[in-house]
Amino acid sequence: MSDSVPNEVSVNINGAEVRAKAGEMLIAAADRAGVHIPRFCYHERMSSVGMCRMCLVDVDTGRGPMLQPSCMVPVAEGMSVDTQSEDTKRAQEGILEFLLVNHPLDCPVCDKGGECPLQDQTMAYGPGESRFVEEKRHYEKPIPISDLVHLDRERCILCDRCTRFADEIAGDPLIHFTERGNSTQVLTFPDEPFSSYFSGNTVQICPVGALTAAPYRFKARPWDLDQVESTCTTCSMGCRTAVQSSRNELVRYLGVDIESVNHGWLCDKGRFNFEATNSEERLTVPLIRDPNDERQLLGSDWGSALANAAEAILDAGSDGIGIIGGSRLTNEDAYAWSKLARSIIRTDNLDAQLGDGLPAELVHSLPPATIADACEADTVLVVGPDLKEELAILHLRLRGAATKGHTKVVEINAAPSGCEPYVERAIRCGSGEAAKYLGEILNSDDDLATRLREGSVVAVVGRSSMAESDHSSIAVAALIRDELPHATFLTALRRGNVRGALDMGLAPGVLPGRTAIDNPSSALDDIWGYTPSMKGLDTTGMLQAAAEGKIRTLVLLGADPLSDFPDRNLAAEAIQRAETVISLDNFLTASSAQADIILPTTAYGEQGGTTTNLEGRISRLTQKITPPGSVRDDWMIATELAWRLGGDLNLTSKEQIWREIEQVAPSHAGVTVERIMSEEAREGILVQESSVEYIFPSVQEPPIADGYGLRLISGRKLWDASTTTSMSPSLRPLAEAPVLKVHPTDLQRLGILSGSDVRVISTRSTENLKAVADESLERGTALLPFNQPGFGANRFIDATAAVNDIRIETL
Amino acid sequence: MSFFSDENTRLAEEIIKRYPKARSAMIPLLHLAQEQEGWVTEAAMAEIAELVGTSSAEVLGTCSFYEMFKREPVGKYLINICTTMSCALMGAADLMQHAEKALGVKSGGTTEDGMFTLEGAECQAACTEAPCLQVNYRHRYRVTADEFDAMLAELSTPDPGVPEHGVLSQIRQHIPEKNTVGALPPEEVNAPPVWLNTEEDQS
Amino acid sequence: MGYLDGFKVTFKKLFEERVTTEYPKEKRPKPPRFHGRHVLNRYEDGMEKCIGCELCAGVCPAKCIYVRGADNPETEPVSPGERYGYVYEINYLRCIHCDLCVEACPTEAITESKLFEFSFANRSDAIYTKDELVVDDDGQPKRQPWELWHDGDDLATSGWMRATAPSGNPDYQNRVGWSGELGYGVRAPETGQQEKFPELSDLDFLTEDQAEEQH
Repeated sequence: MSDSVPNEVSVNINGAEVRAKAGEMLIAAADRAGVHIPRFCYHERMSSVGMCRMCLVDVDTGRGPMLQPSCMVPVAEGMSVDTQSEDTKRAQEGILEFLLVNHPLDCPVCDKGGECPLQDQTMAYGPGESRFVEEKRHYEKPIPISDLVHLDRERCILCDRCTRFADEIAGDPLIHFTERGNSTQVLTFPDEPFSSYFSGNTVQICPVGALTAAPYRFKARPWDLDQVESTCTTCSMGCRTAVQSSRNELVRYLGVDIESVNHGWLCDKGRFNFEATNSEERLTVPLIRDPNDERQLLGSDWGSALANAAEAILDAGSDGIGIIGGSRLTNEDAYAWSKLARSIIRTDNLDAQLGDGLPAELVHSLPPATIADACEADTVLVVGPDLKEELAILHLRLRGAATKGHTKVVEINAAPSGCEPYVERAIRCGSGEAAKYLGEILNSDDDLATRLREGSVVAVVGRSSMAESDHSSIAVAALIRDELPHATFLTALRRGNVRGALDMGLAPGVLPGRTAIDNPSSALDDIWGYTPSMKGLDTTGMLQAAAEGKIRTLVLLGADPLSDFPDRNLAAEAIQRAETVISLDNFLTASSAQADIILPTTAYGEQGGTTTNLEGRISRLTQKITPPGSVRDDWMIATELAWRLGGDLNLTSKEQIWREIEQVAPSHAGVTVERIMSEEAREGILVQESSVEYIFPSVQEPPIADGYGLRLISGRKLWDASTTTSMSPSLRPLAEAPVLKVHPTDLQRLGILSGSDVRVISTRSTENLKAVADESLERGTALLPFNQPGFGANRFIDATAAVNDIRIETL
Repeated sequence: MSFFSDENTRLAEEIIKRYPKARSAMIPLLHLAQEQEGWVTEAAMAEIAELVGTSSAEVLGTCSFYEMFKREPVGKYLINICTTMSCALMGAADLMQHAEKALGVKSGGTTEDGMFTLEGAECQAACTEAPCLQVNYRHRYRVTADEFDAMLAELSTPDPGVPEHGVLSQIRQHIPEKNTVGALPPEEVNAPPVWLNTEEDQS
Repeated sequence: MGYLDGFKVTFKKLFEERVTTEYPKEKRPKPPRFHGRHVLNRYEDGMEKCIGCELCAGVCPAKCIYVRGADNPETEPVSPGERYGYVYEINYLRCIHCDLCVEACPTEAITESKLFEFSFANRSDAIYTKDELVVDDDGQPKRQPWELWHDGDDLATSGWMRATAPSGNPDYQNRVGWSGELGYGVRAPETGQQEKFPELSDLDFLTEDQAEEQH
């Protein structure tokens, strides 16, 4: 017998000894040994069901060879397997002949044709001829089961992959097998579409063309697709993707399975927002405001647009300039702008976050966790945004850990969230009072307190509501750090490369490589020549200064403060008052439409470089298509501006920029270009070092709401008015118009019928909105999504207040 | 608007309590819904989904799997004529033809007055008594054309002794509180199985 | 023997039948499987046969075909089924008339006529669009100003060129199954590979009624 390694067995596959983990399915062991067993229903990220019978192989456990489905048979010591025996071949031929009995073979019109596992395996293992001449099954084809997914039941081979995914992984069992026997079919409930945030994954895992994606429908065939691997920057998860294009147009993204982040899954926003890159609305030439008519924007050339921009920057002087945004940028772009701002313009007024995140020093100083840590921790404490809406794949990973593993997820939130179905406990707190509630639990004799103190804890901390200041999140972080010193943190910051931007110093007071501004590395000092010694203003500070006329030139690095800054009034005042607003953007957004100089930049898929996810994991972005018009990378604009300002950034390419980053950024030392270009970078290169310290401010209790007001809670939705959604024709209709949700008792008290329009009054604004009763809310609170089409909750919010209250009245 | 009547809502809650997991009550609740309306409506499925904490699609999946759950209105009396081998040899086809003529509907149809639904069915395990049929799942053996007509006449009387379609006695089983396996998940039940509690039973 | 030996061949050939012709004054009959300019066929009811599957573009060794599919408009479908060829272009500056596109086509939508006498004065004329390739309402190829059509160039276009048997069915080995075609009706399958090319006038055309009777 074999040497006895615990939990390991030895099996013989096609004559070769293979070591396998005890309990592992035979098909997985064969995969690792490089023996391919054909399959349709088996998927390594989902439980085995043995639906399709394609993986039948000859298994001999001492009683002679027998055909057994290798996805359902765990390996056993001494098992002997023949995947190429005559019986196996006959079984495979038989199964394929059966699977094709009702399969319509409309491959020429099918989106899967050319990359279809059923096609491929029929060619490789099929009998060649079918004995069935009978009429095939007919269904209406295709039927839309959601806005994004079409279902063709004729093509379906009932492998249970999509329904299993919807139930097991996504937790939205909105599609299910119905009927029985010959008429078994996948269907939704009538009038209840498959409106899962993860529906696109079912298209990717469907082994036939039964599920196809509406945005890709008939766009291209597999053989005219060209593919590179890249990283999604829709949110800060950094999911690995395959970016596919045809004729210089992005047509499809696929999820790539990497262990550390996305397990092959993508959210629908990340999967289908390629349409935004292809949008007709993209800016392709620089625009400058018409000197004769303030309301007009004129197409311009880069020379004069950049000259105007440089002049405005020079005029404003280093104290009179503010640079807002940068989370859309790649790490290299962010570094170039950080260097431009600090060494040439000599200002520290720059911030990648729009007053909706956490202080950069806090992000850098918290003990870091990885997503994998969270999925293995005893307890995950979520005190932040609704992860399902803002970091959808993190929600999926935590859900997996909670439903399949031993991890218990505990959530403290002021409003109900999408994570509630799988959390062990959802603790409802008052808005801005999460720390108080957590403190009470920790000081009680609750089981949870014991578990938090004794077990491993990963805290997911972020801003749960834009209507409360960051003080509540800071208080939570402070409390966890003090009371649970063993806890590690994931900062739930949402925007694409926000972590990378902070790492590159796009925040006041921090320099590239997670160092404080008063502690620059010697390499940085040498190369940059100058760094400001005083910490500058953050976005709120810059906008206030601009509104007061102290900041004269605002640079918006892909930022749209009017839509994304929590306080629209302040943002509008700042943009109005600033003498010059320079916007670097892909589209004319609410803010960039009001800018004086608009510089068009490359979008996702058009630029290479690196991006950093919320864990600090650096992975590669790959350019797939050539950009439209004369758009430029952000770093190129920075170098051009530097030159016009009389300096030189000495940056010549993304690769060279990274070499400089590696030199000057202490946390990134050793992360060489060679490592980034290597296979290792597929999983991402984790960077966790930091030398920044954060001094926790004293925390004030939020004021108690008066009896008449409702405390406003405002989080983001996955489908909102963000540019990637609203510029994608398939996704735009998914963003719902905003409604104010209020507890029915509160509505009743005010004599308001659910569903009627009400007047909403805050210290900032008075607007009319539709109010709907929602029993899941706490009394005295009102829930309004932050950035839905047509209306942003930021009209009501005062960014300087700890919490925001509104009143509602009948019209 | 809730689908279940007040009484049935209470019953539904009781049924759910019998199982360690609410989802297990799905089939009994479908029976309850069918008893209330004579068939299972979409509203019923949606409400059952809410009651047992799952999606409507899953309830539809379960409901459509079982042929005895009707998702279309059926007559007061459902007549299933066996068409499998023994009955087929003993003249099931003739009986079906006669039934179609007598009722004026084809197999699968419902008479206009809503009294009868005629269906062909698979083996009803009464092969020695072929041809057989079932009225609301109650057997009739060795049915001849005349007997079929007599049966229709009998069923048309006010109290034929066959309950309406959907009525099932089994779900009315009231399990005494002390015998329920209920509420606790099985892994948390430390006491001996309830059937060992003989002493209490005798009292 | 000497150098006169060389002239033997010349003398002999002087009295033999000539194989060359005085093109363009005199033209040879073209064989039925001649590879000329493509046409996109339509069914008897006028529906386009092309479903935009791009198999022709995929197989084309010269990469001269550009196809894009689209959803058939629900009210006015262009082709039977879900998908139709929304864009169809052939660049005749690249096409080598290898006929692989015809072999690949699953619906016999693209076939070749016998027209080879066409030349262009500019590059854009060389790129035939779908409008130019698809047959007209009578099933006849649309004639472009720069094309020189002769009698018979447009005859028997569809189906003839395929060397493979439809659906891989061995019963059809060496026979060509005609699909119904606008303007021609249904024709009897060609039986067996012929030693000699038949004259175009000898081809056996069935009317639709006859075809139905045979069926």
